[in-house]
Amino acid sequence: MVTMFDRRALLLGAAATGVLAAPWVRTAHAQEKTITLMAYTGIFEERYKAAVVDPFMRANPGIKVNYYGSPNSAQSLGMLRAQKAAPQTNLCIMDASVAKAGTDEQLYDAVDNARLPVLAELNPMAIIPGLAGPAVTFDSAVLLYSAAKVKPAPTSWRELWKPEYKGQVGLPAAPDIVGLALTMVADRLAGGTDFIKDPSKGIALVGEMAPSVQTWDPKPDVYSAIISGGLTLGVGWNARGQLFSSQNPDRLGVTLPEEGSVFQINTLNLVKGAPNNDAALAFMAYALGQEAQKSFTEAMFYAPTNAKTQVSAEALARTAATPERMAKMIDVNWIEVAKVRDGITEQWRRRVINRR
Amino acid sequence: MAIARAPHAAGEAPRDAAPAAGLNSVHLTLEALEKRYGNLPPSVSALSLQLRQGELLGLLGPSGCGKTTTLRMISGLVPVTAGRILVAGRDVTALPPYRRDMGVVFQAYALFPHMTVAENVAFGLEMRKVSRTEAKERVMRALGMVRLEALADRKPRELSGGQQQRVALARALVIEPSILLLDEPLSNLDAKLRDEMRNEIRDIQQRLGITAVFVTHDQVEAMAICDRIGVMRAGRLEQIATPLEMYERPTTPFVADFVGRMNHLRGTRLEGGGVRVGEAVLATAGTSPAGEALLLMVRPHRIQMTPAATAQPEAAGRNVQPGTVRRVTFVGDALHYEVAMGAETMLVESSTVSGPQSFAVGDAVFLAWSPDDTLTFPAGTEA
Amino acid sequence: MSAALLTRPRADWRGGTVLMALLAPILLVNVLTFLAPVINLAMLSFRGSGPGGSIQEGLTTATWTSLLTDSFYWEILLGTVWTSLLITFLTLLCSYPVALWVSRLGARWRNLMMVVCISPLLVSAVVRTYGWMILLGDQGFVPGVIRAMGMTPPRLLFNETGVIIGLTEILMPYMILSLLAGFGKLDRTLEDAAGTLGARPFTVFRRIVLPLSLPGLLLGCLLTFVLAVSSFITPKLLGGGRVVLLATEIYDQAIVTLNWPLASALSILVLVVFGAALAVYGQLSKLVD
Repeated sequence: MVTMFDRRALLLGAAATGVLAAPWVRTAHAQEKTITLMAYTGIFEERYKAAVVDPFMRANPGIKVNYYGSPNSAQSLGMLRAQKAAPQTNLCIMDASVAKAGTDEQLYDAVDNARLPVLAELNPMAIIPGLAGPAVTFDSAVLLYSAAKVKPAPTSWRELWKPEYKGQVGLPAAPDIVGLALTMVADRLAGGTDFIKDPSKGIALVGEMAPSVQTWDPKPDVYSAIISGGLTLGVGWNARGQLFSSQNPDRLGVTLPEEGSVFQINTLNLVKGAPNNDAALAFMAYALGQEAQKSFTEAMFYAPTNAKTQVSAEALARTAATPERMAKMIDVNWIEVAKVRDGITEQWRRRVINRR
Repeated sequence: MAIARAPHAAGEAPRDAAPAAGLNSVHLTLEALEKRYGNLPPSVSALSLQLRQGELLGLLGPSGCGKTTTLRMISGLVPVTAGRILVAGRDVTALPPYRRDMGVVFQAYALFPHMTVAENVAFGLEMRKVSRTEAKERVMRALGMVRLEALADRKPRELSGGQQQRVALARALVIEPSILLLDEPLSNLDAKLRDEMRNEIRDIQQRLGITAVFVTHDQVEAMAICDRIGVMRAGRLEQIATPLEMYERPTTPFVADFVGRMNHLRGTRLEGGGVRVGEAVLATAGTSPAGEALLLMVRPHRIQMTPAATAQPEAAGRNVQPGTVRRVTFVGDALHYEVAMGAETMLVESSTVSGPQSFAVGDAVFLAWSPDDTLTFPAGTEA
Repeated sequence: MSAALLTRPRADWRGGTVLMALLAPILLVNVLTFLAPVINLAMLSFRGSGPGGSIQEGLTTATWTSLLTDSFYWEILLGTVWTSLLITFLTLLCSYPVALWVSRLGARWRNLMMVVCISPLLVSAVVRTYGWMILLGDQGFVPGVIRAMGMTPPRLLFNETGVIIGLTEILMPYMILSLLAGFGKLDRTLEDAAGTLGARPFTVFRRIVLPLSLPGLLLGCLLTFVLAVSSFITPKLLGGGRVVLLATEIYDQAIVTLNWPLASALSILVLVVFGAALAVYGQLSKLVD
């Protein structure tokens, strides 16, 4: 008797649990796919979540995207290296030159048009040979200036060489890519033809500017240093510059100079061997799609990599993506630049930074 | 208060009193020295004394009485608040220590731990720019004086306490100071070594004929080697006298107590000259007005004790009182008895002798002592 | 008695076991958190570095060869050692009088002043460095004072001068603490003794105080030197990119150019510098003793 009762109770209990748990299990099943995106922390995180991640999750209730903020591409790479045996990150946004190292170390899964049809819509510049992932944002080096002290607004890189700004210029020196970007611009100004083979003209010209430079390592960053009045001129990136400038229009001005500039490229990479990579691919498709590209460009003024993106005129004016500006951009192969980076850095130290 | 006899006024002393100037010339004079720290009561006040050339003065007193402060004022390590210090007639009150030419031996020796014994001793000569060869010779001579030539190259921490003390002495003497100051130099040594060292210090001081001040809290030490002793109490010089005089004729109960054990009795002076203590009437050496309350003091070893079974000892002008032994303490070279004498308890000390001559607890005895050994002080002065 | 004698060796043996048991956790922690990472780092320095910072499979001595043959890294090494020695010396110069003064205060004031001396450690070096950026900047307090005296202030920020000023101040508490620990040996009666033997105050300092404070002084210098060599935030913030030291170069190689094998090799080099500093310290300590 006792055993029978017990067995019946057990069965009843099991059934009841099943019924009660059913909706719960279904919800859990629907929420099952969680993916992790690693990208820059700070203002980028704030804007990217609002413009891309949240709309994606609304459109795809079955996928949850965790945003993991990393201070820079190098630390992202370090994290991926550490997770190589058991990746916990699905996607990583990082600078193209760092992405090259990740690709070479086979941390990434290469994507193609078959898996990701949206690639066909991208700007040809966004597909970089030798990299596993496509470009997700374009940015460009810009001249930053104190809107209060520099009038009229400068239009040329040559402003940096003017003697009246002695001790008031700041930019991150090589090996930082801002320093490399300025060297490329200077090389073009000085009549150089192949920066990769021979950057000496560019380095010599940057060297002439050196006495004007207050700091080769602005803290906390060049934008804040100009906003706070510590610097008058600087070199930085368009997207952040535009964003800070829109918040402090009377303190920070941004110019994409008439001589042109160089692109900085962030790539979106699929990490090899991470769970739920099908969901990660869905996110990639969305992030490279016109809707996300438009919304992020309008949120932070990175130029879209999807060629079909229709951006508002107002936002477009703040990016390098207008046809006339695009025409003036200096073609740069960051992967080739990465190979000569050490040499350029040493040249900087010997012929730029130590000049007074 | 007894002040040292002053053969000459301070100013009359010869300017360059060398040892040859004779043992009777005044060499060190302290005139109304005073030391105050802030608003506290003075650490030392109204201290005056004179030392003859070659004299060894012991400054004796309990801790905190100002004896070390006095020594430091003489050496210049502590600035004086008021008063003057004269050495051979020269006023040195305002001179810093390094210009006073005094040898100081410190309580903890104060040897320089990073220098060898020889370097320690040579330091003062080096400061005086004595040539290397002469310095070396004088160092070895000084070390020879304290029998430490063999240890010249050791570091202080490799020496025993007594050896360190000798080095400190050699270091203070090698500069041939005009005055030697010793600040409780023996207090860190064990008892046996202490006796040895104090005699050594005395010998050397005598041989060199150097004027010296010796600070100690041990009255035996002071009496053993000093020409004169100054007892200090609460910053004041209570009495200054030879050891014998200090012991036999202390001028205050404090001094009497400090320089040796004492029996205390309270009584009242009677018309006939005796003093009533409880039931007994005792004879004393001095006189005082009748009716005065007195404190009587008798040294324990000056009391003779005889068994009551034998005849009462001949009085012959002595104080003779019956008593009962209450406690016997054997301390090796002496026996201490506590004897009930009327309402009082007397301490009696007698040296041990071979044979069964000692007394046991409960024995009835007679105590006898001379009126000359009965010191009297006005009551209330002992506080 | 004999029982005690018999049990004695066993008690000692047990004491040794207890000691080992007590030491085991810290040994384990050290192996896990220090030795293992250092070995890992050393291994990494023998890996190849590809363009863009990729770490290649297989072992190679290429990094070490280029490190040891390139005059550039020798310059950084020598520059780092020289700058750190200068900072150590200046820190000593600024800290010694403070420490001596504090050590001579009465017990109550001494404790209070010790807290005051080490209180800067309660504020992070980053905050203090930003403080120096404000004080030394073109419109800052220090150039202002110099201008008020009718002189043209030299550049005090974003160069070696700024780094040296900032690090000297930031490292002072460590030096003061070491010196104070060493001043325990100092005994005022030794100075009194020297005075009565005829030494003037400066001679007393030179012959007695200074030699006796050498152990603490050496310890403070070792500590300060090691901290100066390894300090990174202050040179980064105050150097304005102009001051290249081993620590900042390691950061650049690890974070900016992503050359981890080179960064590892440079880190090992820093360890070698520390080892050399310790060896020098050991020798000098023996001399002083």
